[in-house]
Amino acid sequence: MTRSSHVRHSVDRRMMKSNAMQSIGQDAGSSAQTEPPAATILLIEDERVTRTSMAARLTRLGYRVLEAENGLVGLDVARRERPDLLIVDWMMPEMDGPTFCEAVRRDPLLKSSQTLLMTAHDKPAQIAEGLMRGADDFLSKSASKQEIVARVLAGLRTSRLVRKLETTGSQLESSMRLLQTKQAEMEADLQSAADFVQSILPEQGSPVQGISLAWEYQPALTLGGDLFGVASIDAEHLGLYILDASGHGVAAALRSASLMTFLRVENMLQLIGSYDPEKVLCEANRQFPLSNEGEYFTLWVGQLHLPTRSLSYASAGHHGVLLSPAEKPSRWLTHPSSPLGFDPATVFPGGRMTLQPADRLFLMSDGIYEASSPTGEPWGRWRFQQAIETQKRSPLASTISHCFTEARRWQEQCDFFDDAAVVGLELTI
Amino acid sequence: METTTAFNVSEALNRVDGDQDLFFTLAGLFLQESQKEAAANCVALGRQDGAGLVAAAHKLKGSVIEMCAPSLFECTKRLEELGRQGELAEASSVCADVEASLAEVHAALRKLIAGGFPS
Repeated sequence: MTRSSHVRHSVDRRMMKSNAMQSIGQDAGSSAQTEPPAATILLIEDERVTRTSMAARLTRLGYRVLEAENGLVGLDVARRERPDLLIVDWMMPEMDGPTFCEAVRRDPLLKSSQTLLMTAHDKPAQIAEGLMRGADDFLSKSASKQEIVARVLAGLRTSRLVRKLETTGSQLESSMRLLQTKQAEMEADLQSAADFVQSILPEQGSPVQGISLAWEYQPALTLGGDLFGVASIDAEHLGLYILDASGHGVAAALRSASLMTFLRVENMLQLIGSYDPEKVLCEANRQFPLSNEGEYFTLWVGQLHLPTRSLSYASAGHHGVLLSPAEKPSRWLTHPSSPLGFDPATVFPGGRMTLQPADRLFLMSDGIYEASSPTGEPWGRWRFQQAIETQKRSPLASTISHCFTEARRWQEQCDFFDDAAVVGLELTI
Repeated sequence: METTTAFNVSEALNRVDGDQDLFFTLAGLFLQESQKEAAANCVALGRQDGAGLVAAAHKLKGSVIEMCAPSLFECTKRLEELGRQGELAEASSVCADVEASLAEVHAALRKLIAGGFPS
């Protein structure tokens, strides 16, 4: 090559890059096996001498350098190539450096890019303007090699961190979407199960001639663990029960559904030959022992002989049954007893009584009367009883609805902490 | 190493890490571009265009930095400032200084390109 041909010589950047990689080992990688891809720097400068010089320096340092002659061209290249670092001159035709920085910050694709504003300006006011308009740092046109290396490395370090954050954020967003999808599926499954549970609860109205039935049920979660049943045993007998599983949610609901299936009239007739409440509880006590997790049931079972209006009942730790005679004060139909499953030899004492026309029987879960005020005081069985007493002349469904209204007013919120159920039967004969 | 008064050869070569090929590439570009930029200074002055003068002088100043020509750099810098201040009468005189200084740098560069760096 002649000396004069030097002026036409284009820089062999591949060779320079190779040389630079050896000297800047910590950034460009010290071995072929561990060498990361060279960072890409976009250099935007209208003045050819400066651009060529800076590009050569950066290439020598091991970077892949892209060039643009003004801000407008630079924006196109940046959007296309997503460089790791942007070095942009302040004064340029078409679009100057600060305007370019502003455009970058507005661009969703580029807004987190690291931008070095290259300038001969070094006055604080100008530096402040550059930073205000979106530059991350400054690089003097007369900067030494050491300063260029330091600022470029700092910019690339920040760029890597920002991109890592963006990737992590994107992964988090993706995981969140996946979780939301899974949660929606689970909620749909829960709702489906809740719909099924609702479908197997007794139909409101008149299950048999002479009996009126109404109920209200609000599970603490979508799926409740308190269930109840009212069903004909034969032409003369009506069976009724309310069960309360400890805990709530899916596990409690599944265990309750299992006990509910067990308590089906056909099953009881097959197992013990009758729906005698004491025998039903004894059999249930054997079949449903305390779970390994310590979960158990309370259960109240009653049998009404329709021709005589004779009610026999027994309770396994369930205290929520109230008799509300038409003409007398109401009273609780419970005896001290333990829940199901604690001891297979437990005997559950029962009771027997004759109901009168227009008498009402209320079966409830503890979720209704244990509703707590904001100060922690339970609504209580006494207030429940008062609510029933004041509503004796109201229709059965209105009386139950009134109880829920009063309990919600007491706890000052709509949702209950535990499953809340109230079942009402009225003798209409 | 040979030193001229027009530009500091040693410093200019140091800026490109001693890469003579690159230096000559830049010198060639400078010879082409600075001519145009100097002409742009004159055009802007002829039109009494202060902003145009600032842009042209600034661009020339940027390329001069690469050649490490202190006298030319100072003239160019002064020209840019005068353009920014709107002092175009004084700028005409400084513009002549820039042309003179630029001619010296060009001559020195051409000599270096023709003769090469001393071995």
